[in-house]
Amino acid sequence: MNKRIPRIGIGGPVGCGKSMLIERIVPILAKMNYSISIISNDVISQEDADRMRQNLATNQGLLPENLVIGLATGGCPHTAIREDPSINLSVIEQIEKEHSDLDLIIIESGGDNITTTFSPALADYFIYIIDVSGGDKYPRKRGLGIETSDLLVINKIDLASLVDANLDIMERDAKIVRKNKPYVLVNCKTDEGVDVVARHIIEDVLFEQPPKKLITNVK
Amino acid sequence: MNTDLSDLSLMQISDSFFPTGLYTMSNGLETLFSEKRITGMDELWELIQTNIVQQIGPSDCVALSNAYDSTSLNNVEKIIMCDRSLFAMKLVKELREATCRSGTQMIKCISSFVTNDALLSYHDAIKNSQTPGTHAVVSGVISNVLKIEKQKAILHFLYGFSVSMVGAALRLGIIEHLQSQKILHLLKPVIAETCDKYISKSLNDMWQFAPEYDVIQITHEQKFSKMFIT
Repeated sequence: MNKRIPRIGIGGPVGCGKSMLIERIVPILAKMNYSISIISNDVISQEDADRMRQNLATNQGLLPENLVIGLATGGCPHTAIREDPSINLSVIEQIEKEHSDLDLIIIESGGDNITTTFSPALADYFIYIIDVSGGDKYPRKRGLGIETSDLLVINKIDLASLVDANLDIMERDAKIVRKNKPYVLVNCKTDEGVDVVARHIIEDVLFEQPPKKLITNVK
Repeated sequence: MNTDLSDLSLMQISDSFFPTGLYTMSNGLETLFSEKRITGMDELWELIQTNIVQQIGPSDCVALSNAYDSTSLNNVEKIIMCDRSLFAMKLVKELREATCRSGTQMIKCISSFVTNDALLSYHDAIKNSQTPGTHAVVSGVISNVLKIEKQKAILHFLYGFSVSMVGAALRLGIIEHLQSQKILHLLKPVIAETCDKYISKSLNDMWQFAPEYDVIQITHEQKFSKMFIT
């Protein structure tokens, strides 16, 4: 039986910055010697997976190219991560079989609506990401992703003034709606707040376990 | 209380809620649509019919049927032979991978609530990479274990394939919802006839021949922008 590698699910609407968040988090974790695989579900193309592979694997060498995997979801992004996650699970089982030394698997959902959630069978930790350009009403409109995710990320905070979004209101509503579960304001373009997201992953998903490759080296 | 639960089991595995990932597959339809070779209901119906008559019937259904019988005899060696033969007969890489993903997840799901010696041994063989775990062969095994009649198991498989294709066509915008039900209705005689034709064939009688369709599906592998895995 393959040992389950911790898995994070990242979901959110189209264009909110899911892939960008991954592209910012992975270098932080890789620098700390964590080994990571990425599965990118996409509704129509493999563009995000190709871009992440090019950036993180080919250009930066932070992970092998074959560990960035693109999955087409047949136009049903929410089904692929919740009602019928079998295709994602099948890919993960293959990864766990062939790369048991990995510390973390990141599963990116295809862009979807505010009711997105991950099946517990698929992800151990759920990050839901929105951006300010949808307006400061977004958190209080609720939805399963905003309410129940383990971590809410509010991205593109640099655009707030341009779209008349009040970050104080977004913070206030996030606290109320999420009943004090954590949220982070980030700007993936400048890395502002991204280290806080990485810290949550290390503490809440990896439980501050050292990277497997370091443990192996000690032995 | 009626103790025959087989019909309910059939409903369970036929439901779109049952996790097999078939909704991610268009079986080449996406390519045909983007190349404007399939533009409406009539062409779609013809395509699905050709696929059933030339590929799914003579290969998947024969493998399913033999796997079903082998499960009754607890002959896991023969089940694996069915599995490997069917896998080898699928010429398109995307299709081979997709059928195994569906098959392995299907057997994993069923094994979580049913126990049976043949099921267990076959599942272990899949987990140990001794056999690929194709969707049709897994369907044959689990249908037997759930006491679903063989004929119904084959009808379920063919109908499930048809729904998968029609569903993909609906999402691609080739047809609308009423047309999708009309196509499924029109396919009923084709499905029934195909089932009758291949239900008793031996493994040596397996075949498939739709070369143009295979080539179309291979080109799907090279597409940059796609909604479906196949």
